[in-house]
Amino acid sequence: MTTIAWVGVAMLGGLGAVGRLVLDAAVSSRTGGLFPWGTLAVNLSGTAVLGVLAGAALGGDARVVAATGFLGSFTTFSTWMLESQRLGEEGDVRRLWLNLALALLLGLVAVELGRLIGEAL
Amino acid sequence: MSGPALKLTAYLGERDRAGGAILADALVDCLARRRVAASIVLRGAEGFGPAKVLRTDRLLTLSDDLPVVVVAVDAPERITAALGDVAALGGDGLLTLERARWAGLGERPEHGLDAPGEEAKLTLWLERGARAGRSAGDVAAVEVLRRHGVDGATVLLGVDGTLAGERRRARLRGGNSGVPRLVLAVGAGECLAAASADLAALLGPVPATLERVRVCRRDGAALAAPREIPATDAAGLGLWQKLTVFAGVHDRVDGAPLHETLVRTLRRRGAAGATTLRGTWGYHGDHAPHGDRLLALRRRVPAMTVVVDTPERTRCWFALAERVTAERGLVTSEIVPAARIAAGGHTAGGLRLAARVG
Repeated sequence: MTTIAWVGVAMLGGLGAVGRLVLDAAVSSRTGGLFPWGTLAVNLSGTAVLGVLAGAALGGDARVVAATGFLGSFTTFSTWMLESQRLGEEGDVRRLWLNLALALLLGLVAVELGRLIGEAL
Repeated sequence: MSGPALKLTAYLGERDRAGGAILADALVDCLARRRVAASIVLRGAEGFGPAKVLRTDRLLTLSDDLPVVVVAVDAPERITAALGDVAALGGDGLLTLERARWAGLGERPEHGLDAPGEEAKLTLWLERGARAGRSAGDVAAVEVLRRHGVDGATVLLGVDGTLAGERRRARLRGGNSGVPRLVLAVGAGECLAAASADLAALLGPVPATLERVRVCRRDGAALAAPREIPATDAAGLGLWQKLTVFAGVHDRVDGAPLHETLVRTLRRRGAAGATTLRGTWGYHGDHAPHGDRLLALRRRVPAMTVVVDTPERTRCWFALAERVTAERGLVTSEIVPAARIAAGGHTAGGLRLAARVG
């Protein structure tokens, strides 16, 4: 990996984190504090974009910078798990499973749709 | 300790600042400087203020500025003196003043209330490390309160505050056994008076305050409505009312947690604010004392949601509280003789005590 790629990962990584904060906050403040829609929105949109990159067969440094740098910090596995655990803690088993299932199923759909779009580009 | 007392409560945001300092921290600095007898900083779990931005520790993004409640109690002169410093800090939030008196726990064990049949709130100011024989002081106190038929008791863990006029701040490292912890009990005056003799024997002469309260609902039973009071006293000073809903974090209504439903609906209907505090141990009604257990996935701690508003609007919020506590929960109402809301440069209300009603 080139030095420019390393710098790119650091810069776009920062940008991805900011993007996630903005999108998550915008969605969460509109949908209330019960179900983690913000985290779901971030993960699904990030997954779809990764699908596009894969479909477009982006290679080399560009792929590392965009996929690992930007999307790596934009999407979040840890928050998804933490918020699922919180739902369980409150005894909200239905929403706990919904949060896990929605992200898994819609995530697969999003990556496939993204890949189709990417291939068509 | 005996005689009249005054209670100052500040409902703030965790990240509110005053000058260069964190507001809640600066506030406790003021209290410690005045050597206020007892004060505590409690971290909220969920809530909103006049800006209507919802904060909850359930979601990571919405947990960056959770509510904080600072409670301070001492003789009226000392609280009034500290109040000048606190008001000078500026900043947003809700400040309330409420009349209380020292329960004189351990000094006059037979101590009763103003009138038989009256209901009260007893607040015990313990240290985190307080012991009662071989068990923890707070757990033992809750057991005594329940045995005496008190309607409910909740233990709240502080992260900062003062006890005996000295600063007691929790640190990341260390036992923190001197940091304050509250046991908050509401019930019939006779039950509390009977319990206080046992509590004194159990805990020694810990600071304790009594306040007037009305128990409105208990596990679905309608006991009384909040008192009908005018918007102002004879001199035109504003009167306010406080509703508190006690229920477990595991209690649910309409498929969602009870406290979440209450806070969400209050926010939608335009309340100026509401705060949910999670306790560590406690009970209400006929339920056995509950808290978290080791290795249990579900939390079973008690929680309480507080809303302070004008008497007129309190009637609406009480109707709402009635709906969410149709089956479970304890609802109390109190008269707040002074409240000041500050938000974005605007203030409403004031900090001069209105005359006693009734």
